[in-house]
Amino acid sequence: MLERFALGAQIALQPLSLLFMLVGVAWGIIGGALPGISGSMAMALLLPFTFGMDPAIALMMLAGVYIGAMYGGSITAILIRTPGTPGAAATVIDGYELHKKGQSGKALGVSLITGTIGGVVSVFILVALAVPLSKIALAFGPAEYFALGVFGLALISSFVGRDLLKGAISGLLGLVLATAGTDPFSGTPRFIVGKTDLLSGVELVAGMIGLFAVSEMLHQIGESEAWERIKGKFTTDLPKWIEIIKLRTAMLIGIVMGTIEGLLPGGGGAIAAFISYNEAKRWSKTPEEFGHGSLEGIAAPETANNVVTGTAMIPLLTFGIPGSNSAAVMLAAMLLHGIQPGPQLFERTPQIVYGLFVGMFVANFMMLALGYLSLRPAIAIVNIQRPLLLTSILALVLIGAYSISNRMFEVWVVLLTGLLGYGMRRYGFNILAMVLGLVLGFLVEVNLRRSLLISLGNPWVFFTRPISLALLIFAMITLLWPIIRQVRQDRKQQRLLRDVGDFTELAESQPRQ
Amino acid sequence: MRRADLLIGIGLLAFAILYYRESFAITVGFASDRLGPTFFPRLLAFALGICALGLIRRSLTGRSDVDPLPPLRIGLFVGAVALTLAYAALLTPLGYVIATLLYMAAMSWLLGYRNLLGLAGTTAAVTAVLYLVFVRALNVLVPMGPLGR
Repeated sequence: MLERFALGAQIALQPLSLLFMLVGVAWGIIGGALPGISGSMAMALLLPFTFGMDPAIALMMLAGVYIGAMYGGSITAILIRTPGTPGAAATVIDGYELHKKGQSGKALGVSLITGTIGGVVSVFILVALAVPLSKIALAFGPAEYFALGVFGLALISSFVGRDLLKGAISGLLGLVLATAGTDPFSGTPRFIVGKTDLLSGVELVAGMIGLFAVSEMLHQIGESEAWERIKGKFTTDLPKWIEIIKLRTAMLIGIVMGTIEGLLPGGGGAIAAFISYNEAKRWSKTPEEFGHGSLEGIAAPETANNVVTGTAMIPLLTFGIPGSNSAAVMLAAMLLHGIQPGPQLFERTPQIVYGLFVGMFVANFMMLALGYLSLRPAIAIVNIQRPLLLTSILALVLIGAYSISNRMFEVWVVLLTGLLGYGMRRYGFNILAMVLGLVLGFLVEVNLRRSLLISLGNPWVFFTRPISLALLIFAMITLLWPIIRQVRQDRKQQRLLRDVGDFTELAESQPRQ
Repeated sequence: MRRADLLIGIGLLAFAILYYRESFAITVGFASDRLGPTFFPRLLAFALGICALGLIRRSLTGRSDVDPLPPLRIGLFVGAVALTLAYAALLTPLGYVIATLLYMAAMSWLLGYRNLLGLAGTTAAVTAVLYLVFVRALNVLVPMGPLGR
């Protein structure tokens, strides 16, 4: 164990690794601070740059982006009342109030320091949970992996969006897209619609850039209003240490919620941030300050969303199942470099896993330093002209897509999936479920077929193995639960309507005076 | 929203049928496993078809949520999509540098940026940075068009 950390440190503390991580964190802060660019998008846009890199360094750099973006998102939230990333949505409430009072530096400082603490703690949680879980995961056979893939898809489809049916359709569309290319077992081409470029399948990186980044750009162009510019005076007085120490309850709540959300599929820290905000208010000695510039109101959500950066890696590293957009991008990066995430990762390439652990630890301190230095330049980032930003991002997307395999095919994939993603967003479908379908399609199909190959075609193999059975039952419950809830709600509503109807009938039957 | 859901449901159903039919075009070799390359896609087609029917049924019975869609700036949207598609289409004949310069300028203008000096400056700067990073540093083989290599 200890020698593995030494190995990881050796990789993570090389000058080249540190340099790329620093670039990653800086890009994350900028991306997070740019309204409309979330952490996962900033990561996806960086993917084409990592092609030639050592896989361990590429992953550390992407983790750096993820970490940096969490702080970057709060800059925009505090200064212009627009969350730069979904995870910073709760920070808007008290952060902007503090900015209005002329305490912008204090708000940003609290976000930065509590975020760093959350991030560092989350690395310890990651190590503490991922290593033992990977030992459990080692006992997984094809049947368990199939069941796990189904369970992951069911969770994302039903919990992330509001609409279960559309979530399920989105996940299925992702799986369908994943079948195009070459059959993994027999090597026969399928669904290539006459395009030899499609023989290697739909490139994950292209699909993600399209679905995450291009769809968001189209949304910004077509629907969203111009963002605000910084109003009022901007101050850089940092919070005092005593003020930070007073935030320990809020931070603790953030840590607990962030850990839970990281383990479950979620919205990239947004849910944990909101729940932490509410809980921090409930446990606070001064709940009346919430909404009027409470430091605890920044500390709780900002700790939570930074904790998610570490804990979201747990299901990804141990089982190969990403639970959030950012984790999905990490998975794409791994596959791009020929690394299959999962428990074998810990045994076969410990330098990558432990390098990532050490790297994430270091990246949090880089965020602290860069975040401090960027207090002033932040104004320039946030006040950037929107048309120029959107155009530059689209130009970056195009050359990035081209660079995936030095051909136009991926450019078209990116643009088409971008349009599709925009349509899905607009009509209430679930982009993350589609990405997850695309990512997990291979895993689900291969393990389904492998299990049946081993069991000589007996489908009971999925139900006689306890873990597989339990996962499939959970998947079933996850999918059925919203339906049951809907039916119950409808009944209640009908009963209510009937009661109201009886009442109005009664009222109408009364002779009028 | 309900009418949109109906149309999307019909479209998805048609796609599921088409996808199912397409699975018969796959040549199944001898070396394959029990389920072969067609089983999983057909399973998906089936599930997708069921979900599409569910969506159609829901849109007809009026159970879908009726949140009004946010207004879409249709002219701007179509213009931006058309420009981006044109950029991709013209990349090979015009070459990367010329196509990018044109796209950057036209797109920024379309999206409402009117400061000519800033427009020229950003267009040149972003194109230069992208060219240096991707073409020079990362050795991406982009078409160069009339400018040659």
